[in-house]
Amino acid sequence: MIITTKNYKQFLLLFWCSLTFTFSSVAQSDHTGKRRVSSAYAITNTNLFSSPEKSQTKVTIIIKDGLIHEIGPNPTIPSEAQLIQGDSLFVYAGFIDPAGDMGVSKPDEPNRPSDFDSSNPADEFAGITPYRNVMDQFDAKNSKIEEWRKLGFTVTQLIPDGGMLPGKTSVIVLGDPNNPNLLAQNTALSAKFTGARGMYPATTLGVMSKFREIYQNATLSSRHENLFASNAGLKRPAKNKTYEAFYPTLDKSIPIIFEVSNELEMRRAIKLQKELGFDLVLAGVQDGEEVIPSLIDANAKVLFSLQLPEDKASKSEPKEDAEEQAKRIDRVKESYEKSLKQAGIFEDAGIPFAFHTKGAKSGDMIKNIRLMIENGLSESAALAALTVNGAKILGIEKMAGTIEKGKLANLVLLTDTLFKEEAQIKHVLADGYLFDYDIKPKKNGKKENGDGDVSIEGKWRYTSSTPAGSSEGEMNFSKVADDYTGTITLDNPTGSGTLKPEMKEISLSGNKLSFSFEVNVQGNNLSIQVSGEVDGEEFSGSMSVAEFGSFPLDATKVPENAIKL
Amino acid sequence: MNKNIYLLLAGLILLVNAGFAQTKKGSVLIKNATVLTITQGVLENTDVLVENGVIRRIGQGINAPANTITINAAGKYLMPGIIDAHSHIALDAVNEATSPITAEVKMEDVVNPFEVSIYRALAGGVTISHAMHGSANAIGGQNITLKHRYGTFDPDDLLMKEAPRTIKFALGENPTRVHGRGKSIQPRTRMGVEAVIRNGFKEAQQYQKAWKDYENASKQRNSTAVPPKYDPRLQTLADILDGQIIIHCHSYRADEIYMLINVCREFDIKNIVFSHVNEGFKVAPELAAYTMGASVFADWWAYKFEVYYSTAFNAAILTRNGVVTSINSDSGELIRHLYHEAAKTQRYGELSDEEALALITINPAKQLGIEQFVGSIEVGKQADLVVFDEHPLSVYAVPQMTFVDGVKYFDINEDQDDQRLKVSATEMVEPIYLKEHDHKCMQDVDFFFTNFGRTLFGHTH
Amino acid sequence: MKKISLIIISCFLAFLAQAQIDGEVLKPQSGKFLLQNATVVTVTQGILEGSSVLINDGKIEAVGQNLSSDGATVIDCSGHYIYPGMFDGGTRLGLVEVNSVPETQDFAEIGDVTPNMQALTAVNPNAVAIPVTRVSGVTTTLAVPSGGIFPGTAALINLNGYTPDQMYAGFKGLVMNFPSSARRSTYDRRSEEDIKKDAEKSMKNIAEIWGNAKKYHALKEKGGQLQYYPEMEHLSKAVSGEMTMLIEVNAASDIEQAIKWIKENEVKAILTGVAEGWRVADKIAEANLPVITGPMLSIPTRESDRFDASYANAGKMAKAGVKVAIRTNDAENVRNLPFNAGFAAAYGLGKEEALKAVTINPAEIFGVADQLGSIEVGKNATLLVADGDPFETKTQIKHVFIDGYKIPMTSRHIQLYQEFIERNPGLEKNVK
Repeated sequence: MIITTKNYKQFLLLFWCSLTFTFSSVAQSDHTGKRRVSSAYAITNTNLFSSPEKSQTKVTIIIKDGLIHEIGPNPTIPSEAQLIQGDSLFVYAGFIDPAGDMGVSKPDEPNRPSDFDSSNPADEFAGITPYRNVMDQFDAKNSKIEEWRKLGFTVTQLIPDGGMLPGKTSVIVLGDPNNPNLLAQNTALSAKFTGARGMYPATTLGVMSKFREIYQNATLSSRHENLFASNAGLKRPAKNKTYEAFYPTLDKSIPIIFEVSNELEMRRAIKLQKELGFDLVLAGVQDGEEVIPSLIDANAKVLFSLQLPEDKASKSEPKEDAEEQAKRIDRVKESYEKSLKQAGIFEDAGIPFAFHTKGAKSGDMIKNIRLMIENGLSESAALAALTVNGAKILGIEKMAGTIEKGKLANLVLLTDTLFKEEAQIKHVLADGYLFDYDIKPKKNGKKENGDGDVSIEGKWRYTSSTPAGSSEGEMNFSKVADDYTGTITLDNPTGSGTLKPEMKEISLSGNKLSFSFEVNVQGNNLSIQVSGEVDGEEFSGSMSVAEFGSFPLDATKVPENAIKL
Repeated sequence: MNKNIYLLLAGLILLVNAGFAQTKKGSVLIKNATVLTITQGVLENTDVLVENGVIRRIGQGINAPANTITINAAGKYLMPGIIDAHSHIALDAVNEATSPITAEVKMEDVVNPFEVSIYRALAGGVTISHAMHGSANAIGGQNITLKHRYGTFDPDDLLMKEAPRTIKFALGENPTRVHGRGKSIQPRTRMGVEAVIRNGFKEAQQYQKAWKDYENASKQRNSTAVPPKYDPRLQTLADILDGQIIIHCHSYRADEIYMLINVCREFDIKNIVFSHVNEGFKVAPELAAYTMGASVFADWWAYKFEVYYSTAFNAAILTRNGVVTSINSDSGELIRHLYHEAAKTQRYGELSDEEALALITINPAKQLGIEQFVGSIEVGKQADLVVFDEHPLSVYAVPQMTFVDGVKYFDINEDQDDQRLKVSATEMVEPIYLKEHDHKCMQDVDFFFTNFGRTLFGHTH
Repeated sequence: MKKISLIIISCFLAFLAQAQIDGEVLKPQSGKFLLQNATVVTVTQGILEGSSVLINDGKIEAVGQNLSSDGATVIDCSGHYIYPGMFDGGTRLGLVEVNSVPETQDFAEIGDVTPNMQALTAVNPNAVAIPVTRVSGVTTTLAVPSGGIFPGTAALINLNGYTPDQMYAGFKGLVMNFPSSARRSTYDRRSEEDIKKDAEKSMKNIAEIWGNAKKYHALKEKGGQLQYYPEMEHLSKAVSGEMTMLIEVNAASDIEQAIKWIKENEVKAILTGVAEGWRVADKIAEANLPVITGPMLSIPTRESDRFDASYANAGKMAKAGVKVAIRTNDAENVRNLPFNAGFAAAYGLGKEEALKAVTINPAEIFGVADQLGSIEVGKNATLLVADGDPFETKTQIKHVFIDGYKIPMTSRHIQLYQEFIERNPGLEKNVK
């Protein structure tokens, strides 16, 4: 549900229940010795930026029971409050991420029955699981959560992983590290243009049609259920959990959040919205300026990824056929610059937007926001995109997004104003929980990526896009002495079932990983080379198949002891 | 059909109309050209006046109204924009190859206005292409007729709103390979293809009846009638039975063409065009009597077994037997020189200039149901026009300018070399395409591991 | 309307009747022929109006006016044109019957280094596509094996004969697919660095193989007794310069690499493909390397390229001083060679140069200009008679001679036309 004024009370109730639960669960005292002593804090005499429009100096903020208790030049500080010297700190509202996937893993694929019909697969095989909730695949202890919190994020809407309709989202607050801290469940229905592998719907063609079919049958099915509920002697409605999952989108009690990866996907999502009439949120908007009129028309909410394209053009040096090449590179540069300007253009067009973390690298966040600011985005719009806009899109502006009395104690405390290069985050308060960070003497803020940091051991799940659709499987690496061994699974190209060839020539140097494997296709041994870069738990690279071509291959590490909540 | 779906459709139509209100329309006076009207002979030294996207006057000594550009085409040839009745350009996906019937999928959903192939088609004088689903399924998806208004970022701007609905069917090797051999489901043989199509139509009839019953029942006072399940696949097939959709059927062998003619006659379907139809010449009398015609290649053959017994004289034999015949590209390469493909019928069968040019203008227009709007130079028709330096059927002819709705989208003297609309922000090294042909009829189908060897060697239409 | 078409049909049938009467078997005929009163386009010696060509024993015996018709079959060519037979400088004609049927594909052997594979061995003299091709005036084609780095030895063939040896036209070349460093499609997501690395790797691979061939050649020259090694045996012929190499290379940077490689290894080479030749035309001219390019009727190699890049390629190279021949790189549609030449002509090569690019240029490049490539006394009688410019689609090819054999002007395509132009029974079967 989206939190509206109507259900705000219910929402608060849920919220308080969760707090109470925390307290009662430790009724038998804490024997770790690590529980915090008090949940009250006072940030004294500080510089406060309570909203993108409003700032004050020399204010004291009192935090109590997870809420902002008091703000003022001289409030009474409760005696149990822990003091935070705020004189040289700059305090902002905690950032809100309207589309994240921190701690979210992909559900295992169900086993296919022997009489599996790829032309008419059951929904769950085809990536159609809108009845799932992302919390079923969420690991509250995943290190990604700390990665983003450390950058100031205090609230995120989690997007489930999977196919075209992976499930419903939930909003959590990144507070108590021992809890998932659910703010609201089933806040939006997640959708994307991902075809199913080797079955209907495999391409965008099928996905568009399937989406319409489900939506319209959900409408019919809901009408049938209403009729059945109020009349005797009717045919029993066949319960269909996919259609049922769509019911709250029919009356717009929740929106559909479409992840898009380019301008055309954006237009396709808008097209579906116009035909069917649901509330639309677009995540991953890129190259969006030409679509602005349609976005306004559809009243769609806009989310930008914090990721920007890599700047390759400015690094290149022209070689042979210099003049001709220079022209082509100029166009690449132009495109790159355009991508930096997008946020500024949307601001000028008066379209509110928020930044999301899904698909972004935490290490690039600050750099990317600064780039957008250098290219026309105002600092206040950037702050709004991190805070109040996200709150509004999630419908939680009554409790988050700005610093006001009665709101959740979600704060970011920096050593300087937010977008200054020298600014470092010293504390984050999320849900009233305090997180302290070391302030480093300023060096060049580059992330180091030494040899020792990269570890590939364990299970990875990969996806490869080919002109025939995407293929998926698992990679397993283990280390024997100093060498790696491994296997990879893939669908048998000529029959059914999966193959699991051994990897050869596994090489890891720095963060560059490469290996090869062989598959027998119609009597020919086909050698397949994979190479690319490891970045934390992500691998992005390509797979080349003999003379035939090379295709993108991305993988994500499967957490070893993923705790399912 | 229930009310919601009606409303939905009504909304859709409004939407499409709204979108087209903004389509660019141009005005231009082309003077002193040799005008190849197609339907009304050749007019020497003639002027054609275009106003607001429509041909207003054809004659001599026409003066340009204020604010209308004049182009002197003395010594040049003016012909109607070329129409390609079978193409796969400007599409992000071609085959939803996962089911033998996918009538519900729409090519309209995957139009990609950024493909430079649209511009290259314009540079070959092609102003309209029929963007089709591929040939993997016995009944494929719904095609879309595009006007090449290159430069727009909105796919809807490319749609030709006046064009009727069309759908792709496919017979023979492709559907039997993909489904029968590839996935062990019907059809595996040409018998199975017939059965799948017949089953589809029969089920569609039942579906139509279920909805009719429901609608009748729901008209009763205090009706508690329960709506049937909505099935866009069967609904589309029902629309074919109702005559709302023209079938364009990928086919090669005479027997399979004859089979579908019989099935259509049985279901009283008259709107059918056969495409490729390499052995169409063998059943030319039947094609003439019972169909909207045949859309063929000028000379492709021997790339697979079902086209081994072909002849480049196909178009001539069909034309001489009274079949409405067109020449199509099915390829991002051929679409650039359809005027040359049409000219080959003069080598293979000695068609007249008028007959040869009809193959790429008025005849494909008829097959797409748009002949009242385009396909010839006549007063009142849309101003889709091409200027050639020599007669377009000469191998030395070079298109000079191409107009769609009176707007100039190609001018050989204003070409910028790099005509891409969109460039990747990170792609520093551009791909280099070295395959000589670019045939997409089977795109998205077993391209990767399966049939690996076959695709390596090119021809897969 | 129907009447008119029937008249046209009967006219055409009359022409075909000359070629084929029901049930009659048509064979190529040899002997003495006088092609009388034509416009002779000699290619090398200008255009001769109102002239005749006398063919005897496979050779052009005389060209001129008032030639004696003694003992010769006279063919009236008034209003017609005589051209040399056209060359296609790169095809799979005869090496494949039906493209998608593996059992009929004989152009790619297993292995990367198979220079000992002889295309001439696999040419099927009875391939259905051969008559389909030669009635278009294309008389001579290069049969080229493909796949791997050194896929085999190509052979020049005339499109008439019952055995490969009868067809052989006097040139063989060792095919090399020069490694490509290009990004292959938008799906090819290798980094620039990886692309470079892959290219270096393949060059190193070739250096190793070639080094081996050089060693083999040197030891053999010294009279060393070497173990049977057919691959090296064939490569060493190219090392010594005894055999010309046909080097397939297309991307601009690869062409430059190939030129460098050719210089370093001092081999005799022809560049083939050369799709991006226009980008480095001066460098090809400077290296004095002949080029066989085509098809013109293909999409430009890069999306950013001008729409006519592939049409204009041959013209740009010729302008820079490169000797250019044209190929279709096709099998069943080699008959499109003259149309490829026509497009090249229209987009910058010019008609005269385009004609050379399918006649005398390939003859010179293949070293057979003493027999083929022009209408000159003493050369083989391999020529065509047409009612116009053979590049024009409207033109009808009236006669074709290959090595003095008068070729029957029929093919499966023509036979199907004859049978089906007026099918009997038509729509209804007339049975009483």
